Amino acid sequence: MPIYDVVLAVALVFSAFFAIHIEETIYAVISFGVTLTLFSGLFFLLNAPFAAVFQLIVAVGAIAVFFLAGEMLTPKKKSSQKMKDKIIGLLIAAVLAVPPVISDLRVEVFSRPYNPAFASALWKFRVLDVIAQSVVILILAIGIVMILKIGGRK
Amino acid sequence: MEYIILSLVLLAIGVYGLVAKRNLLKVLMSVELIAVAASMNFIVFSSAVGDQLGQVFFMLALSVDTAMTAVVIALVLVAYREHGILDVWELSKLKEES
Repeated sequence: MPIYDVVLAVALVFSAFFAIHIEETIYAVISFGVTLTLFSGLFFLLNAPFAAVFQLIVAVGAIAVFFLAGEMLTPKKKSSQKMKDKIIGLLIAAVLAVPPVISDLRVEVFSRPYNPAFASALWKFRVLDVIAQSVVILILAIGIVMILKIGGRK
Repeated sequence: MEYIILSLVLLAIGVYGLVAKRNLLKVLMSVELIAVAASMNFIVFSSAVGDQLGQVFFMLALSVDTAMTAVVIALVLVAYREHGILDVWELSKLKEES
């Protein structure tokens, strides 16, 4: 069993659980950033470098936005979460990390007769999807600007 | 097959966040985690089959997911500015009051 895969899987489960479980928003955001970055490392190990780089870029953007939102929206008060709750969270994360460890993480690779290059797959076969997604993202961006403008006026 | 177990565990953590947490940012993180855990299967199967099409689908899924996150964060900011509330239950009470 490749040790890197197991370490990444365990770290992924732990950081994901803590991102959700920890009450302090800033620490949760940091943990979530670690989760997204570990996803990127996992994709590298799965021989998917394009997806890994894309995931890393998205992680950086998402973390910046979450940091800003978390800092803006979090009231400055002392945390009420007890140490006992944190230890229970640690134990639950450890239990959740067991299945990926005990199961073999190897991926069987077998060849297929048709294997297009990445660029041709994206632009020749999925060009309509890519254009449609671009339009959707553009509409969403316009929607964000409109929502923020309406909110600012009120 | 084993990566699917990892994906399922991450999905379960995301669902736990959706069910148990009331903070809007936590809920958003849970949704993001569920989306990435589900999208991870594209990469896993792509790697297993030896085909790069899975990476393409992953990128498209992640693009939509990121756009959705941006919209939801904008909505969260507006909700907080208008009502000063970050609690999902409190927001649902606003709907009942109106």
